[in-house]
Amino acid sequence: MKLLIVEDNERVAQFLKKGLQESGHTADHAATGRDGMFFAASEPYDAIIMDRMLPGGIDGLGIIEALRKSGNKVPILILSALSGVDDRIRGLKSGGDDYLVKPFAFGELLARLDALVRRSQDARSETTLTVGDLSMDLLSHKVSRSGKPLALQPREFKLLEYLMRHADQVVTRTMLLENIWEYDFDPQTNVVDVHISKLRQKIDAGADRQLLRTIRNSGYMLTAND
Amino acid sequence: MSSRFMRFSAVTVALTYVALSLVVLAAFAMPLWYSWRETIEEERAHVLKANTHRLVEIFNEQGVAALSVTINAQVDAKAAEDEDLILLIDAQGKKMAGNFSTWPEVLANASGGRTYSIDINGRETRVAAMHVALPGGYRLLVANNIDKYRRLEHFFLLGLGIATGIVVLLGIVSGLLVRRALLAKVRDINRAASAIMAGDFSHRLPHDSGESELNTLAATQNRMLDQIEQLIGSVRNVSNAIAHDLRTPLAELRSRLEELSIAQPAPAPVMDEIHGAIADVDRVINIFNALLRLAEIDTGARRSGFVELDAAGVAGDVADFYLPLAESKDCELNFISSGPLTMTGDPLLLAQAIGNLIDNALKFAGEGGSVTVETSIDGDGAKLISVADNGPGIADTEKEKVFDRFYRGDASRGTPGVGLGLSLVAAVARLHGATLMLSDTHPGLRVTLRIGA
Repeated sequence: MKLLIVEDNERVAQFLKKGLQESGHTADHAATGRDGMFFAASEPYDAIIMDRMLPGGIDGLGIIEALRKSGNKVPILILSALSGVDDRIRGLKSGGDDYLVKPFAFGELLARLDALVRRSQDARSETTLTVGDLSMDLLSHKVSRSGKPLALQPREFKLLEYLMRHADQVVTRTMLLENIWEYDFDPQTNVVDVHISKLRQKIDAGADRQLLRTIRNSGYMLTAND
Repeated sequence: MSSRFMRFSAVTVALTYVALSLVVLAAFAMPLWYSWRETIEEERAHVLKANTHRLVEIFNEQGVAALSVTINAQVDAKAAEDEDLILLIDAQGKKMAGNFSTWPEVLANASGGRTYSIDINGRETRVAAMHVALPGGYRLLVANNIDKYRRLEHFFLLGLGIATGIVVLLGIVSGLLVRRALLAKVRDINRAASAIMAGDFSHRLPHDSGESELNTLAATQNRMLDQIEQLIGSVRNVSNAIAHDLRTPLAELRSRLEELSIAQPAPAPVMDEIHGAIADVDRVINIFNALLRLAEIDTGARRSGFVELDAAGVAGDVADFYLPLAESKDCELNFISSGPLTMTGDPLLLAQAIGNLIDNALKFAGEGGSVTVETSIDGDGAKLISVADNGPGIADTEKEKVFDRFYRGDASRGTPGVGLGLSLVAAVARLHGATLMLSDTHPGLRVTLRIGA
């Protein structure tokens, strides 16, 4: 992926750039609003990581609004220290696609970026999802592993559907909370882990290959690859 | 109801006004009444006396025959009206002259003068009478019919009664009107004040341009509210600034640690230390986020997220969310609902609050315990959401403190958490105008959110 980082904090910007490069992406960095606007408007990027408060005349939301007005649909992840509900709403209303509050875990950021880029790439609707020998029929709501049907609760079905749609991608706990349960808070105990291990028991029990894996410090991944 | 009615000042003032008016009316009417009666009575007695005296003199000087003639002449002249009554009888009680026939039994044989009720020509009549025993067994009765005066008395009393009625009626009506106007105004002020207390600081107390006491009060209150709003605004700005200024170095710190753990593979103990440090930073970030969220709720900023919602549905979803966690601890988690509970609120905050309660209850109940989430409506129409466990419960002395920030009871020491969970529940309850109640379930604790009514 080719990414643009618009961030005035040098330390955070360098960390992002290095991390993204290590994950196999290339990233440009703009430290001011003006530079950010110029880069975003002149180069095609797969996604933009946008800070909100920027020096240089135009802030993050200003850039996003200007880009959207000119018809630019590049996925944008807003990365901000402003955490209020209205801040979040204003960010998404201006045309941002996702909102991540600082301080953040790099795994979280990467997972969200991945999800954003994939979402913009394949918007096609499917009726069957498959990951390895696991398949899900979205019309009849039936799930089977190696042809053997699995009995899932509605909530487990929804969870598995999300994981299958994001197969081979890291999915974080926060992403699951937001997308499956639509909660915007972290529960005191890690309830998501329990849901995942319950689901894992159903789909991976007795199978020689584990499909649902835990990615340390990030989240989970459903994959048939090694 | 009646005691509340009495307590209200407008009614008290009206009643006091009525009572005072009645006293004034009485002070005016009573002397008038008595002096009027006295004057009339005196005059009447005087006339009676003079008349009687004249007749007695005629008897003394000219004898009984002359008296009879005089009496008959006098009576004939006034036969049409029964005002003056005269009767002369002989020793046998036989009528000799006069305009009525029988000597009233109520009059004694002796002389005297008083007011009597006597039978005159078959009609009960009130009279002022004077009677004398004359030499030779004759008796003379001179009386005055006072029914006419009685009518006047009646009119006077009727007038007085009507005046009293008008005073009382006016007092009550004006009292009620003033009360209604005042109550309406107070209700407006109350409504505005409630909205402000709930965190909507854009509200102002209603007042018009007039110079009335309530208007002055409302205007002063509004100026006070302007100041409070300004203060809250600057507190919000300060906490935003602090949040931003703290987030940036925390972000840098976390970045450095993560960079270390990813980029430079080190021996396992060092890596463990780095991951431990990241976990520490994350804990600081979590507390920080929880505090900011509390501040956000307390300033009422979350009101913008208020929608119509079904509280029972929200509670059911959260219970469903926590069910696998309960199962993993061999805990029972039951959800009992009496049906939908429609209310306005922030579904995410309610969910988080109920989630925190369930989380706590599961910790207290422990392995093999049981937790019950229940939604219902009580007798007053208030909505109840309760979470009960069968754990050790908490001591009465601790109940006051559990909603304080960072407070951790004896029973929860050693379990993970920072002591902000119940503070959040309390803040969410405040934002929704709900009360939080703690009760014993013997054994265990029940926390109830009571919303509305």
